[in-house]
Amino acid sequence: MNGFFIIVSVFLLLNIALGLIRVWRGPTVADRLLTTQLFGTTGMAILLVLAGYSKDLTLLNVAITFNVLAILLVISLFQVWKKRREKANDDT
Amino acid sequence: MSVLIDGLLAILAIYLALQSLLAPRLIKSVFLFFAFGLALALAWVRLGAVDVAITEAAIASGFLGVLFLDALRDFSPAFPAKQKNPEAAHNVLVKNNTKSLLLSRIPLGLGLGLFLLIALEAVWKTPEGGGLTAAAEAFLPESGVEHPVTAVLLNFRAYDTWLEIGVILMGLLAIFAVGGIKVYRKPNMAAQDPMLRQVIMFFTPVLFLFGAFLLYFGKTGPGGAFQAAVLWGAIGILLHLGGKSIIEEIPRWLRQLILTVGILFFLVLGFLFVAGGNALFEYPRAYAGLLILIIETLAAISIAAALTAIFANLNQMKEDPNETESIN
Repeated sequence: MNGFFIIVSVFLLLNIALGLIRVWRGPTVADRLLTTQLFGTTGMAILLVLAGYSKDLTLLNVAITFNVLAILLVISLFQVWKKRREKANDDT
Repeated sequence: MSVLIDGLLAILAIYLALQSLLAPRLIKSVFLFFAFGLALALAWVRLGAVDVAITEAAIASGFLGVLFLDALRDFSPAFPAKQKNPEAAHNVLVKNNTKSLLLSRIPLGLGLGLFLLIALEAVWKTPEGGGLTAAAEAFLPESGVEHPVTAVLLNFRAYDTWLEIGVILMGLLAIFAVGGIKVYRKPNMAAQDPMLRQVIMFFTPVLFLFGAFLLYFGKTGPGGAFQAAVLWGAIGILLHLGGKSIIEEIPRWLRQLILTVGILFFLVLGFLFVAGGNALFEYPRAYAGLLILIIETLAAISIAAALTAIFANLNQMKEDPNETESIN
């Protein structure tokens, strides 16, 4: 059973590493932002798997903290965009 | 087998740290830094330091991520539409100062190498008898809490924690000193945008509830004042981003009281027991658990208010030049 946990978390870690490609290449900011959201979700999954692996349920606190705060980035970026779009509308 | 996870995590963390420093464009750096925070939090979990992992997740990824993103908007032309050729500008800068850069790089590199060696030596040499772990665990029943980390932070080494609260307040004061206490009204975006309003209305109670849970859970497990404070501070940031800045809504005297109540109560309590013949920050044993909970709650409120104020103030300071820029 332990081997299963390890294989799953290694797979998820590799997923994060693959997601980095979007941070490097992502043509727009939205692509990069979505990558961070993917990291947040995958990180949560890894933490859940590790919690099962080490039988330590306090790891769930870390997972929730991560994902509750991930919304801040989205809202912050959203506001920047909205402002820029309004500016562009004013110019035309 | 678990070496595989640790090795992969270590490679990922070091790679992300390097890349977030070396990335040619700031926007990449910010997002890589966010990913670095995640890798570091996972590494702390693997090392068994869940308290640090929560703090890392909350501060590095949550609070700093937003601060960086916000700074990016105003201090650099990093968004693609504005930035035509970042690499070229970077190269010109490097070429002009090659000599002075080389001169500054050698001593810097040597100093850094020395620092790394010292750090490595400190890590390598474990203190004899396992350090103070045994002592801390032996006195755990007298501390009033069940979690050793909280016992050390708020009872055995309360003085350090008190100063840490002060450091955050100092940071806020420095921002006030540089930028002044400015009051700019933000447009009430939440009123115009139903989606944003729903998100704020949903996440505000969730953040508050989970913050309160972490605060109380600190008594028995990983959690505590600082982690809870970031989550509560996130409420303020969220409301500020939506156009309702609580820092401005409440009267000035109340704002000052909230910002200082944590450090003040801690201080008064510490010296109150000195007058009674105890050491500084030595609580009476019967009430230790309750006192620690009160201190933590007040400290969390203060830190949350300070973080909100830092974000609100930085966010406002930059509104001004931005507006004039758009007119040009």
